[in-house]
Amino acid sequence: MKQLLTGILSLALVFSLAACSGGGGSATPAPNGGGSGNEAASTELNIYMWQQYISDQLISDFEAANNCKVNLSYMSDNADAITRLTAGGGQEYDLIMTCDAYMESLVAGDYVQKLNLDNIPNAGANINEAYWTAKDYCIPYLMNYIYVVYNTETCPIDITCYNDLLDPALKGQISTIDGARNLFPIALIALGYDPNSTEESEIAAAYEWLVKFNENVVAYGNAEQNLTNGTASVALTFDGNASWAMTEMGENNPLVVAPFTSDAVQLGFDLYVIPKGAAHVDLAEKFLNYICDPQVMAANLEEYPYSCPNDAAVAAASEAYRSDPARDFSYKENVFFQEDVGDALVIYNDYYQKLKVGE
Amino acid sequence: MKKPIDDASSLQAINRRRDVRRKTLPALAQAGPVSVWMILFVTIPMLFIIYISFMSRGVFGDVVYEFSLESYQTLLDTTYFKVILKSLQVAVFTTVLCLGLGYPFAYYIARKPPEVASKLIMLIMIPFWTNSLMRLNSWLLLFQTSGPINTFLQWSGITDHPITFIYTDALVVLGMITNMLPFAVLPLYSTIEKLQKSLLEASSDLGATPVQTFLKVTLPLTFPGIFSAIILVFIPSLGIYTVSDVLGGGKVLYIGNIIKNQFGSIRNWPLGAALSVLLLVITGLLIFIYTRFAKLEDMEVV
Amino acid sequence: MAKLTKVQRRKKALGILGNIYSVLIYAVLYIPVVVMMIFSFNNQRYNYYWNGFTTQWYGKLFSNDALIGSLWYSLVIAVLATVISVVIGTLGALGLKRFEFRGKKLVNNMLYVPIIVPEIVLAVALLIIFMNLGFALGMGSILIGHCTFCIPYAVVTIKGRISGDGDSLEEASMDLGANRMQTFWRVTLPSIMPGVMSAAFLSFTLSIDDVVMSNLLAGAKNSTLPVLILSMNKTGITPDVNALTTIMILVIVAGMVLSNLVKGRLNKRVPQ
Repeated sequence: MKQLLTGILSLALVFSLAACSGGGGSATPAPNGGGSGNEAASTELNIYMWQQYISDQLISDFEAANNCKVNLSYMSDNADAITRLTAGGGQEYDLIMTCDAYMESLVAGDYVQKLNLDNIPNAGANINEAYWTAKDYCIPYLMNYIYVVYNTETCPIDITCYNDLLDPALKGQISTIDGARNLFPIALIALGYDPNSTEESEIAAAYEWLVKFNENVVAYGNAEQNLTNGTASVALTFDGNASWAMTEMGENNPLVVAPFTSDAVQLGFDLYVIPKGAAHVDLAEKFLNYICDPQVMAANLEEYPYSCPNDAAVAAASEAYRSDPARDFSYKENVFFQEDVGDALVIYNDYYQKLKVGE
Repeated sequence: MKKPIDDASSLQAINRRRDVRRKTLPALAQAGPVSVWMILFVTIPMLFIIYISFMSRGVFGDVVYEFSLESYQTLLDTTYFKVILKSLQVAVFTTVLCLGLGYPFAYYIARKPPEVASKLIMLIMIPFWTNSLMRLNSWLLLFQTSGPINTFLQWSGITDHPITFIYTDALVVLGMITNMLPFAVLPLYSTIEKLQKSLLEASSDLGATPVQTFLKVTLPLTFPGIFSAIILVFIPSLGIYTVSDVLGGGKVLYIGNIIKNQFGSIRNWPLGAALSVLLLVITGLLIFIYTRFAKLEDMEVV
Repeated sequence: MAKLTKVQRRKKALGILGNIYSVLIYAVLYIPVVVMMIFSFNNQRYNYYWNGFTTQWYGKLFSNDALIGSLWYSLVIAVLATVISVVIGTLGALGLKRFEFRGKKLVNNMLYVPIIVPEIVLAVALLIIFMNLGFALGMGSILIGHCTFCIPYAVVTIKGRISGDGDSLEEASMDLGANRMQTFWRVTLPSIMPGVMSAAFLSFTLSIDDVVMSNLLAGAKNSTLPVLILSMNKTGITPDVNALTTIMILVIVAGMVLSNLVKGRLNKRVPQ
C-alpha cells in the first residue's frame, strides 16, 4: 500500500505540473462546424502530416485569418497515412499528407475526394504542372530528391554514378534510405532498366545489385545524424536532410552533392489530399489555397528549406534558400518518379526481405 | 447398507448445490470481466485476422474477399523460415541474459526490508517511464564515432582511431537487455519476496550448503516467477524490432518488421495475417512443450 | 571485538558483492536517462552530437502546447489504463486460479494472444472493428487498445503470486465471521499486494511508452507523447523533448522524496 501511495503522489505531482502549464491547449472544447449546414463556415481543420514540416507561424496566421482552430497530428511513416485512408479513421481528418507514388491506388480505391480547383486558384496559378500528378485529387506541397551526398574529406572516392556506390573502398561507409520502393529503382537505373519495372527478371537483377550495395551500408535511415557525426562518409538521402546536414557542418562544410553525369535521380512529392467523408472541406480548400500563395510558401521555405513545386514561391524566396548547396546540382531535370507498380509490389517486397534476411 | 450411501450421496448433492451458489457469484465477479474483455477485444479481432489470412491481396493493396490459400503458400518460402529462426535466436539470447542478470538482482531486492525493496523496485521502473526510442537514441549518442566514449578513448590514448560501436550486434544486445530487464525482474521479485525465510533457515539448519539450499529449495519454489519472467521476456522479444532498427542500423529484418511492413507499406494484409497466425502457432507450441517439459500442468497455461 | 565467524564473513562478502552488482545494474538502466537529460542542454536543432551548452530548450518547452498537451494526454491514458487493467487483472487472476468454469481454457489461452501477436496486428483488427461499429476514435479507443495488452501482463504477473495456500487463510477468515468483501480486502489483497504492485508498474510502463495502438487508434485531435516522438524520426528528436523528459523525471523523484519525508514524519508521530 505504501508503494501505491508513493506512486500516486508522485503522479499527482506530475499531473498538476502538466495541468498548470499545458491545460489551455488540451482542454479546448471541440467546436463542431461540420454537419451544421452548408452556410456556416467550418471553424476547425484537422490535418495529418509529417512533423517538423510546416511553419507554426503559417498555421497561426491561417487560424487568425479564418477564425478557426487547426489541429495537427503527425505520422511517422507514409504507411500511417495510407492505413488511415484505407482502413479507417480517414474521415476524422480534412487533409492528409501522402506522396505521389500512392495516388493511383488511392484514386482507384475511391479513398480521396475530387478537388474543386476553382476554389484553389493559387494552385493552378503557381504550381509547376510537370510536378503535379493526379491533378484533380491532390495539391503538391513540398518535394524531395533522393540523391547521393558525400563528405569530400573522408570519402575515399569520387562518386558520379550509382555504380560507384558498389566500390569496395566504401565498405561500411554508406548511410542510406530504406524501403523496397525507394531502394530498388536506384538499382534498376544503375542496371539500365525502367525504375518502375514490373519484370521479375529485372527486379531479380536489381536484387543482386543491392546485395553488393548492402555490403557497403553502415545503416538504413538516420542519414543526417550519420553524416554529421562521422559515422558515414556517403549518404543516399533526401535533399532536405542533406540541407540540414550541410547547415549543421557550418562554415567549412565538406559535404557535396555527388556530381552525377547520366543516372537519373528520384523525385517524390509530399502532397495533400482530402479524404472521403471529410467534415470541413470548405476550410480545407481555403487552407490549400493559402499555402499555394507565393509569399506564404516563400516564408514557409525559409523555415523548412525543402525543394518546392511552387515556382512562384521559389522565385519569391530569399537568396539563402535559392543558393542552398543541397539544391545546387546540375541534373535537376534528369529525374524519375515512383509509380504504383500494382501486384509487382509483392515481388519487390519478397526480394527486399531476402536482401535484409540474407542467404 | 444401502441407506447410508444414499444419505451420503444426497448430502454431497446438497453440498454441491450450495457450492455452486456459494461459488458461482464470486466466480462470475472475478473471472467475468477478464473473460468478457478477452472475448470482445482479443478473440473477435483474432477471428477476423484468421479470416483475413484466407483472403488475398488486390492489385492496389485492398483485401479481396475470396477464399485463397495464397498467403499460406507464400509462407513456405525459406525466407520466412530464416526470419523466424533469427527472431527465435535473439529472443532466446535476450531471455537467458535477462533471467541470468535479473534473478540475482531480484533476489537482492527481495531480501531487503519491504520499505527499501519497494523503493528499489520503483527505482527500476522510473527509467522506463521515459520514451524507449529516446533511451535507445541515448546509446547512439554515447557510443557514436564522435561521441563521448570514443573521444575519451582517443584522448586517453587507448586507441588512435575511433572504434565503431554503433550499428553492431553488441549494442543491439545491450539495448535489448536495457529494454526487457524489468519484465524479468518484476515477476521474479514478487515470487522471491514470497519465499519464507524460515524455510531457507530450516534448510541450512538441516545441514544444507547454500548451493544446495538454492538448488533444492529456492529455485523450485520460485519456479512460477521464473515461468512468468520467461513468458514476459521471451515472447515480446520475439516480435520486437525497434531495438535492432535503431541500434543495429536496420540491416536485419525480424518477424516483427515483416508483419509490420505487410500491414503498412506493402499492404498485403492477408500475408500479414497469415504470418501472425504462424507466429501464434509457433509460440503456442513452444509454451505447450515448455510447460510439459517443466511439468507445469498446474500453471494452467495451455 | 569478537572475530566474525566464517558464515558471517561470507554473508558480509556476499552483501558487498550484491551491492556492487545492483549498482552496476542500476547504472546500465540509468545511463540512457542521464544522457537524455544532458542532451536537453544541447545547443543543436536536433540531437545529433554535443554542440555546446544552452538552456533555451527549457524556455521553448513552455510555449510548446502540443508537446506538453501530449504528455498530459499520455499520462491520463496511462493512469486510466493501469487502474482498469489492475482491477480486471487482479480479479481475473484470482478467478482463473480459484474457479473452474466452462470457457476457462479459452480465456487462459486468449490471455497469451496479445503478448504473442505483434501489436500492429491487434491494432489493425481493432481499428477495423471500431470503424465498422461507428465507434469514434479517440481516448476511448486508445484506452481499450492499451488495456487489451496490459490486462494479460497484469494477470500473468499476479497469478505468479497467488498460490494454493491463500485459500486456507481465506477459509480461516471466513470461518472467523468475516464476509467475502472483508476477506478480500483484509486477507487476499494484502497477500498478493506485491504482485498487484508489479502489475500496476508493468501496465503503467507499457501504456506510457506505447506507440502502435496509440498511433492507429488515435483520433484527429490528440496524440500521445510517444507517437509525437516517433513522428520526429524523419528528421530527429528535438532537445525540447529531452527537456520535458528531464522535468518529468525530476518531478517523479521529488515526489518520491517528498512522500518519504511526509511518511517518515507520520511514522515518527504514531508511537507517541
